[in-house]
Amino acid sequence: MDAKTFAGLIRDSGDKAYNFAYRLAGNETDARDLVQEAFAKAFEHGDAYDSTRPFDSWLLRILHNIFLDSMRRHSHSRTLSLDAPSPVENAGWADLLPEDSPPLADALLRRESVDLLQKALERLPPVYKAAVTLCDVEGLSYEEISQVMEVPVGTVRSRIHQGRLLLRTAYEELETSGGTRS
Amino acid sequence: MNQHIEGPEISSFLDGALPGEDRLRVDAHLSSCSECRMELESLRHLKLALSSAPRKAMPADLALALERRMVHGRAWRPSFPAPTFWIPAGALAAALLAGFWIRSAVTPEELPLEPLLAAHSRYSAESLISEDNLVASNYSDLNSLDEDSSDVELE
Repeated sequence: MDAKTFAGLIRDSGDKAYNFAYRLAGNETDARDLVQEAFAKAFEHGDAYDSTRPFDSWLLRILHNIFLDSMRRHSHSRTLSLDAPSPVENAGWADLLPEDSPPLADALLRRESVDLLQKALERLPPVYKAAVTLCDVEGLSYEEISQVMEVPVGTVRSRIHQGRLLLRTAYEELETSGGTRS
Repeated sequence: MNQHIEGPEISSFLDGALPGEDRLRVDAHLSSCSECRMELESLRHLKLALSSAPRKAMPADLALALERRMVHGRAWRPSFPAPTFWIPAGALAAALLAGFWIRSAVTPEELPLEPLLAAHSRYSAESLISEDNLVASNYSDLNSLDEDSSDVELE
């Protein structure tokens, strides 16, 4: 790849990388740092890039790894620990279903709920947050997410589902508390 | 038929990631289970809310800084310099080589010193000039006395 190609890749993949970084980090400062570091690493290790595969997936994988590393370094993050047991793993359907689903559906589609949804997303453990973001925000397939997160498709399937359940629970808690509960 | 859809399967169904046979089975179950239908709708709304949230575009200044840093900065290390580098570099190398050749062709060691030294010894021995008068202007007059040293420049 020559210099012109690199410049083109920044333009083509920059928005996707930044949006993903923002959803993961939850703020612009950290999103900028993530994107800068991801591009720097991508170019530094350009020889490792398989040009038969989409550059986006490779870049997002690097970004995701940087994010996980930073989470491990800064364990005081607002998100839950990677080792924390999922509150939904042993829950039955009756426990997971909200008492009244339609109000949640309506609330989620309100414009003012966007910030609350982002706050709820930030409360998810990193791996669930990444899986849900890649699937529902970035629109990647399970196979693509598997490549980005470097886990089997079965694990992706499980993380997406558990991530959604956690997100819904977090959203409802925030909405009940008026968005102030951390 | 009465057993609810297994957790991740309902998300996979929502994402269109179930193989045909499993999809048909889940479809059939949903047609008769309101609880699973409600769950599916709830997840669908969640997915829709996430996908329709405004996307964050990369700030223009960040894109510009990245481009500069990657393409022109230290992070960008081309594997082979472009022709624009080789043309001036070649010209500079040629100039240096030419300069070195010219300098080595006229080294002090190759100046014809023998006639000069012989003339100096002869003049000193015959006391034609004193030590105090060993200046270039005097040599210009005396050169004519010796044909051997006529081609020697004293300056």
